[in-house]
Amino acid sequence: MSDDPPGVDLADHSELDFSTVDVTVSPDVEAEITRLLQENGLELDEQINTFVVCRKDGHLVGCAGFDRDVIKDVAVTPGLHGAAISLRLGSEVTKLAAARGYHDLFLYCRPDNAQRFRGWAFYPLVEIPDVIALMENNPVALAKYLEKLSRERHPGKAIGGVVLNANPFTLGHRFLVENAAKGCDWLHVFVVREEAAQFSYADRFRLVTEGLADIRNVTIHQGSKYIISRATFPGYFLKTRATIESSFTGIDLLMFREHIAPALGINRRYVGTEPFDATTNCYNASMKHWLADAPSTAAPIETVVIERLAVDGSPVSASKVRALLSAWDLRAIERLVPSTTLAFLEGQATPARDRKQGGW
Amino acid sequence: MDIVRNAIAGTLESGDVLVKVSPSEDGTLTVHIESEVIKQFGRQIRSTVMETIKALSIGAATVVVSDKGALDCVIKARVQAGLLRGAGATDLNWKVLG
Repeated sequence: MSDDPPGVDLADHSELDFSTVDVTVSPDVEAEITRLLQENGLELDEQINTFVVCRKDGHLVGCAGFDRDVIKDVAVTPGLHGAAISLRLGSEVTKLAAARGYHDLFLYCRPDNAQRFRGWAFYPLVEIPDVIALMENNPVALAKYLEKLSRERHPGKAIGGVVLNANPFTLGHRFLVENAAKGCDWLHVFVVREEAAQFSYADRFRLVTEGLADIRNVTIHQGSKYIISRATFPGYFLKTRATIESSFTGIDLLMFREHIAPALGINRRYVGTEPFDATTNCYNASMKHWLADAPSTAAPIETVVIERLAVDGSPVSASKVRALLSAWDLRAIERLVPSTTLAFLEGQATPARDRKQGGW
Repeated sequence: MDIVRNAIAGTLESGDVLVKVSPSEDGTLTVHIESEVIKQFGRQIRSTVMETIKALSIGAATVVVSDKGALDCVIKARVQAGLLRGAGATDLNWKVLG
């Protein structure tokens, strides 16, 4: 005779079994995960290869996908939500990520699930109502970053912001910043921190600093995980699809509007026209919407588009400089970059240069 | 003791607590506590956490405590484990830990 309260099967002690799978080599598991995600109104994210899966009696009952420090595609079999599976899953994900060296994690979820992930010790960062929410598990990092930024506040009516990847820094970047700085009392320049570019963050940052040294009303800031990073804008670093989902540009731009801009008093964001890069072009096009028109608790920020600098009738871009570099055409590069960048590029050993100099 | 690396201890399960420890960037001690029973036991949890940090002579660190209703002894053990891992400690002084 059982003492269990009615309706609760305390005899159900079947173990939860957790493991990690790479779905690119396990199509069967991928199919199972896809089904579980669909039951939860989610789609398998193509950027996610690694999943923590939870099985009960062999059946898949929970999954959580991650790409380094970014967690997505978390689902638990409907009906089991009340059970402890979700929290066990959260513990496993946290532990596994920590074992791989990722302690500060980001998480994407549907806004109506955000409360569940508060239980995973994740805190809301930014949200597009009814579409997507971004959370992180470090409750103090953003506040500390913003506090540091706010020490660089400058007085004035027109305070501008511009974000550069500067891969590498060209006369086009210089032109954009120069003109933006003319139009405002103070301009804050951010250098994308993510190490996904041909040139390292340290080199990119140094060349931006050197290339803008003579402009009086500019502060150059270190980038962070909160501004065009793999966490806030995963699509930017893939650039595989011509169009990226606008919800992801929205997350990054709302982060800027709601957190970064208020810390520095930024009320306008500058951007150059983008003739070549479809991802960046899409980002720029959606800027006005997310920074001003979209509903938000933060004040709107004006988007100012500046026509890109052209040399010999052709727009200057970093991608063109990289192409010329791989052909080791320094004479052509010289017309597109400041002397500081040129000096750096001359020191770059590339296969093309070696071929030309080695004469083989 | 100095916190030199990121570390975690504990779980998110009911009756347990997850402790995240990381080095301080600005040389300060930051302690963030969240608990499902913060209204009833918030003060007690905080004093357990702070005493444990103090007993190990930690001056600078970021400590994030996500409590799921753990008993005091569990909180103390998890905070100790997190801090000792974060300090890379191998030589344990059980007098201090007890």
